[in-house]
Amino acid sequence: MNELKKPKKKVAFPRYANYNAPIRYLLENGLGVRCILPPRLTHRTLEIGAKYSPDFVCTPFKILLGNMIEALEEGADTLVMVYGICKLGYYGELQEQILRDLGYDFDFVNLSEYDTGKVKDLFKATKYVNPQVKFRKVLKTLLEAVKMTDYIDEVTSEYYQNCGFETKKGAYKKAYQTFISNMYSANSKDEIERAYKKVRQAFSQIPISKPSQPLRVGVVGEFYTAMDQFSNFDVELKLAEMGVEIHRWMNVSNMFLHYPGEKNLNVRVKEFTTYQMGPTSTANIRSAKEYAERGFDGVIHVKSANCTPEIDVMPVLQNISADYKMPILYLTYDAQTSDVGLMTRLEAFYDMIYMRKKVVK
Amino acid sequence: MELKTVGIPRGMLYYRYETLWKTFFEKLGAEIRVSDSTTHRIAERGMSLTIDEACLSIKVYFGHVNELIGKCDYIFIPRICNFGRNRDMCPRFHAMYDVARNMFRNSGQKFLTCNIDVLGGEGELKAFLSLGQSLGCSVKSTLGAYKAAKKEEQRVWKKKVQKQKRLLEKDVLKILIAGHDYLIEDSFIGKPITDFLKKSGVLPISAGIVDRDTALKRSVDMSPTCKWQLNREIIGGIGMYKNKIDGIIFLSAFPCGPDAMVNELMLRRIDGLPMLNLILDGQNGTAGTETRLESFLDIIRFKRGLL
Repeated sequence: MNELKKPKKKVAFPRYANYNAPIRYLLENGLGVRCILPPRLTHRTLEIGAKYSPDFVCTPFKILLGNMIEALEEGADTLVMVYGICKLGYYGELQEQILRDLGYDFDFVNLSEYDTGKVKDLFKATKYVNPQVKFRKVLKTLLEAVKMTDYIDEVTSEYYQNCGFETKKGAYKKAYQTFISNMYSANSKDEIERAYKKVRQAFSQIPISKPSQPLRVGVVGEFYTAMDQFSNFDVELKLAEMGVEIHRWMNVSNMFLHYPGEKNLNVRVKEFTTYQMGPTSTANIRSAKEYAERGFDGVIHVKSANCTPEIDVMPVLQNISADYKMPILYLTYDAQTSDVGLMTRLEAFYDMIYMRKKVVK
Repeated sequence: MELKTVGIPRGMLYYRYETLWKTFFEKLGAEIRVSDSTTHRIAERGMSLTIDEACLSIKVYFGHVNELIGKCDYIFIPRICNFGRNRDMCPRFHAMYDVARNMFRNSGQKFLTCNIDVLGGEGELKAFLSLGQSLGCSVKSTLGAYKAAKKEEQRVWKKKVQKQKRLLEKDVLKILIAGHDYLIEDSFIGKPITDFLKKSGVLPISAGIVDRDTALKRSVDMSPTCKWQLNREIIGGIGMYKNKIDGIIFLSAFPCGPDAMVNELMLRRIDGLPMLNLILDGQNGTAGTETRLESFLDIIRFKRGLL
């Protein structure tokens, strides 16, 4: 009865790679609210975001802010923001203030306010979004959403490793996009599993012609920009299509689900760092070192402008590059809206590693 | 015990921990070597060594590290992660030691470090005990040195806060400078600004010189989710001093992440006080800054009916 009296909240979380699918799944099926999917990220998003943001905050802040405005335009009445160890922990409060100053009217769930070190307090946030929420149901859907995230990361990883070598152009992309859109519409565990099986089958049937020793490039970088195709101008696809196998360890499920723990990860890069240098530093340094040890042809370091932890990783990457004689391309993304410059750099990088491979081999 | 030279770069946390570090190492019998005040040359050197995008303060800091390379047994660079829940340090302080190690790895220079990560179970005492161990001192003498240093630090700090209180009672134009001590007190970055203010007959007051515990509590009213210890002290200081001053200058180094966000929020939240957001990028020449300061002071004087 209560539900009839009070309309469901229309909750939105700004776009973040393909992870809005599990977020939507959790919000709609677990918390029982309506999820408003903000529009896809476009140049407009970045432009309005940059317009209202402080100049030298990191770029994801601007993109998220722009997308929040777009979500409010789409009819959302509640916005959710997460927190993290770096500047991310402060995103929410500043974004809320900027939006309020602009005159928008909305409820804001800033998870940073609930961060007391106890999971119990985080659960209070779900109570705020929907007072009738059942803890067991949230937990069950959360586990399913986590599984979905895991599948998305696994499929994405395979997609970028192979899509550059398909003989029928566009086959991988088509299967991948069908899978992603299935994830966005899934409402039960069965639907998730079915879509996953379908894409696995589809991938296995796509004919590929891969040389015995293909060019391999590893991607490391910042937690938002390295994964979000809009933010990095889909650098992985651009390079893959030149005929390169792309590997990226950095994703949500590897960082939270399969993370071996800071200490155990750090032990493998002891010669370079003693301590954790920032939230994703050890993971990136370890990945870069591992790619080097496996004889990769190059690594691309992807980050947004002004990302402090990743700037500090760069001197270490430079040393790894020197020690293992492996080229590293450093890409910094600011509020630019053209990918022509990026394309030129990628082509030059590709030519270099291609020629190098011929000589070294 | 063999006498060792410990080099301390004059930058970043040096301004916060000068007394603590110096007394501690002196009591242990080490010789201390602090790099000279920042000059244009030191800053320039730091800028050429560091990644372009890094903030001005860290560039200057590595300039100081570079000054000390080869001139002492150890260069002391602590790694400070947090002082407890919601009392974090900027990731730059998590990384400083490792960045230096990587940057200067071909120099053969040894670095001395300690790790403060209260949430991870590594408090200040533990950190200093490990420092003593690295220098080959006994636990007893290390503990003694730490206690003496801590006492001295508190004494000096109290005196500084007292002095600040007296300054606040003076009947002159007072401008609160909200910025990190390593900016305000640096001879190359912040000193020209405070000097200019003094020359213009205005008293600069540093927002960070404040009773830190009270400031931390106060900062929650100013910004509830701010987690950076240094920024919390500063905004807490703004909260405590704002009724006694005539204007605020937000002083930050290009491109300091925490300051960019916290200062933006403060500019949006504080009402009824003239505010200037001054971002320094280490360019030569102070003419541009002086023009901005002059017009800012004119506004304040006009407001007070002094113009």
